[in-house]
Amino acid sequence: MSAKMELRGVSKTFQARGGETRALEPCDLKVASGEFVTVVGPSGCGKSTLMMIAAGLEAPSSGEILVDGRPAGPAGPRRTVVFQRFALFPSETVAQNIAFGLRVAHVERAEIERRVAEQLRLMGLARFAGAYPHELSGGMQQRVAIARALAVQPDILLMDEPFGALDAQTRTVLQEEVSRLQRELHYTVLFITHSVEEAVYLSDRVVVMSRGPGRIKREIAVPRDADWRGLEIEEAGNRASFLHTKREIWELIRDEIVRH
Amino acid sequence: MSGASATLAAGARRSGASAAARRPAAYGAAALLGLLALWGIATAIPGFVPPRVLPSPLDVVLRFGSLIAEPFSGATLFGHALVSLQRWSLGVLAAIGLGLPLGVALAWLPPLRAIVTPAFELLRYIPPFAWVPIAVLWFGATTTTQAAIVFIAAFPACIINTQLAVSEVDSILVRAARTLGAGAATTLRRVVLPVAAPTVFTGLRIAFGNGWMALVGAELIVGKQGLGFLISQGQINDSAATILVGMTTIGVLGALIDLVLQRVQRLALPWKPSIVKPFE
Repeated sequence: MSAKMELRGVSKTFQARGGETRALEPCDLKVASGEFVTVVGPSGCGKSTLMMIAAGLEAPSSGEILVDGRPAGPAGPRRTVVFQRFALFPSETVAQNIAFGLRVAHVERAEIERRVAEQLRLMGLARFAGAYPHELSGGMQQRVAIARALAVQPDILLMDEPFGALDAQTRTVLQEEVSRLQRELHYTVLFITHSVEEAVYLSDRVVVMSRGPGRIKREIAVPRDADWRGLEIEEAGNRASFLHTKREIWELIRDEIVRH
Repeated sequence: MSGASATLAAGARRSGASAAARRPAAYGAAALLGLLALWGIATAIPGFVPPRVLPSPLDVVLRFGSLIAEPFSGATLFGHALVSLQRWSLGVLAAIGLGLPLGVALAWLPPLRAIVTPAFELLRYIPPFAWVPIAVLWFGATTTTQAAIVFIAAFPACIINTQLAVSEVDSILVRAARTLGAGAATTLRRVVLPVAAPTVFTGLRIAFGNGWMALVGAELIVGKQGLGFLISQGQINDSAATILVGMTTIGVLGALIDLVLQRVQRLALPWKPSIVKPFE
């Protein structure tokens, strides 16, 4: 598989009073087309910084970001982001939010309507097309944010702890839906989380980061044909193969937390 | 006091408050009528308040009728009000036209902020009336002078609230817009300004009120028309009724201006429910 997106030697150093702080050691990371890659690590390991750099919202101190082998340039609709805090535009309806990127790109009206309808259907939002964000629950808002990011048909979808602000039940439902969508539609996704279970459940590959300063410690492949794929998260979590992968990742992270 | 009766008392207080909250217009009108009745009674008792100090409500209503029908000091009441509103509109429009774009620029361009802020902070502590003499020297006793005073009174609230509103827009929204391909102009128009609008509207309400009050003050000092001029002529002619008609007109017009703006705000921001219900 060819790399859809590649981070090559990407590092980040913040200038602070009294010197420099190294947030991220040079990191190499590839995401193949149709692959779901999750970055996990303890808080402060620089995974969010890595995500902002991947999105083009922050400049790396060194290294480069490639999409389809070419420099990715500034932030834009080829790499859309789902933020932890939803970041919906409050003055626009659900449908307008989803259409935002398409209207900015001057996509013709009929095509916009078609794609918005498609996203509303995929994310189970059809009843809420005319609602404003403040009228929706957190889970519904995050569905809109995902639909908005997917509507522009990005090369890669970047998800920055997207379920971190949701209650446990809503989170489970969304995890299962994202997993289902991924098995059907094979988006290319770079996902950030601190939940090992979430990482295993959703991913083809899990990248474990260590902190102080942040660097990539290990990558662990999660087989697409694992016996728990397609199960609900509760059920999947009880399978021996799932627990095995989860424990393997958790050991790596626990080392990090204990060591510091 | 037992727990049950304490709960009852609290319940009674709550229902009392919510009755006033349910029908704010009726309660407000009742309060105004009560005030009017007190005034009527005070002036109806012979020798209690001399008419020269406080004319009766009826006298004021009659004076209101005559001021509408016949010119006084150069114009009818309608004419004076129109002149005042025209001066006010000019000043306020200038304050909006300059204050809103500048407020946005100050929020988005830190270097500009560094240059402009010290001078602005100094200037805005000079009261609008302190500008009247210099305005008269520059523009004479003209509409421009009056409008300039309105502008000076209204401008700070326009620019400060706009700057505050724009700089308080969550930067994550701007980032989200960027990742969806929006440039600066689109982000400003479709994300930043709508989110900033409620605070900008609050600034406009303050600006409109400040402008209106400063205008009346300026008209007391300079000019040959307008509601402020009308009440100063009432004083010269020893007519308390004229003064009260002028004062009431000033108050009612000011309240109407605010009401219209609130209505506009409601229509302009349908997605913002909280501002629709001031009594809840």
